[in-house]
Amino acid sequence: MLEIKNLSCSVVDNDISILNDFSLTIKEGEVHVIMGPNGTGKSTLAKVIMGHYKYKVLDGDILIDGESILNLDVDLRAKKGLFLCMQDPISIDGVSNSEFLRTAKNSITGSKTNLYSFIQDMEQAMRDVCLDSSMMHRSLNQGFSGGEKKKNEILQMKFLKPKYIILDELDSGLDVDSLRIVCENINNYMKTNKDCSLLIITHYPRILEYLKPDYVHILKDGSIQHTGDINLAFDVEKNGYSSINNLSGDDSFE
Amino acid sequence: MNKILYVVDSNSKKDYHYDITSDTIIYHFSINSTIKVDINIINEGVQLYYYYNNINYDDNSFSIQVHHLNQSTHSELFIHGVNVLKNRLHYNVEGIVDKDFSNCICNQENQIINLKSGKSTICPILKIDNYNVDSNHSAYIGRFSEEKLFYMMSRGLTRKDSYRLLLNGFLLNSDSLDASKIVDFTKEINKI
Repeated sequence: MLEIKNLSCSVVDNDISILNDFSLTIKEGEVHVIMGPNGTGKSTLAKVIMGHYKYKVLDGDILIDGESILNLDVDLRAKKGLFLCMQDPISIDGVSNSEFLRTAKNSITGSKTNLYSFIQDMEQAMRDVCLDSSMMHRSLNQGFSGGEKKKNEILQMKFLKPKYIILDELDSGLDVDSLRIVCENINNYMKTNKDCSLLIITHYPRILEYLKPDYVHILKDGSIQHTGDINLAFDVEKNGYSSINNLSGDDSFE
Repeated sequence: MNKILYVVDSNSKKDYHYDITSDTIIYHFSINSTIKVDINIINEGVQLYYYYNNINYDDNSFSIQVHHLNQSTHSELFIHGVNVLKNRLHYNVEGIVDKDFSNCICNQENQIINLKSGKSTICPILKIDNYNVDSNHSAYIGRFSEEKLFYMMSRGLTRKDSYRLLLNGFLLNSDSLDASKIVDFTKEINKI
């Protein structure tokens, strides 16, 4: 279970709070969605959970299975099962996709992955996400299109087998076919890993046609203002956030 | 490429001179050395790719001059260094095209990573005396990006493993390298 309790945070060199008393509990197998206007702290939330160096926690806690992760380095959070699918994955020249993923896999599992089976698994995973197998040997995300970067994120997810997946605007930069492919891969992953939970950050409900949410939350001014089901997302798309006060919802969701 | 040369230096102070008459790649690796290189590209249409990768613990410098001595000649320089301690590292990287030689390409890319608080300087110099030449230079001095480290660590890599991958990528920056020729240099990377 991933619990975020009364979390307030700011950027490191500024005490102005971005998240304010934010609380959310994600149980095993649940799919949660966070929507909200630009600048309300959606991506900040994702990065703070992962331990990004630009943010500091002012108050509150983040717990995995009852244990606080606030004092853990980023890599240890990943080993706890967290995976952040980034909005704009960074390119790293000179570090090949396969070398990176194999090192990550070794680190997560704590044992050396057999090279032959790793290559076979990677080729299969690349076919699954419709990436050309030659990309295995290319520098990490270097020269990849926006869609290829997102597919590469899902490829990493399939390999590293996380328990808590955060998708930060997965749908940005993806064409309709690519969106369908990555969502099919996520759904297949969720089916075979029943205890896996999903936190989806998005602006558009289109992705929710593929990834069916249990809860949709509206984030405003750094905290959850409304919670509902998928219909809340469609209402927002139709009427905008300005109509949010007229929507019914469970304000006290936790 | 017609010729591929490997040069490896360790704890030395050396001068090199090359007259390039056919397409050539030079992979030059140095550990804690001060190096001066003088290159003439002699024949028309010849291409030179020069990779200089170095690891430094003491004060060192690297100086290179590439003279384009015929038309349609092409030089690409990739100069990458790591400054491990609080030492000084200086690059002087010079490309020269005289007015008689048109259609040349003269490019250079220079980077120094300071792992601690070392002092580094790069002087990229292009002396181009012909209007019909493509020429570019870039220079970067700094640390490995925290954003890259965050990305790598978010996949479970330790900070140490992330640095090791970044250093390998930075200092072995060509796909066609023959690893058997630079075993000592590769070992040195893993010691950093």
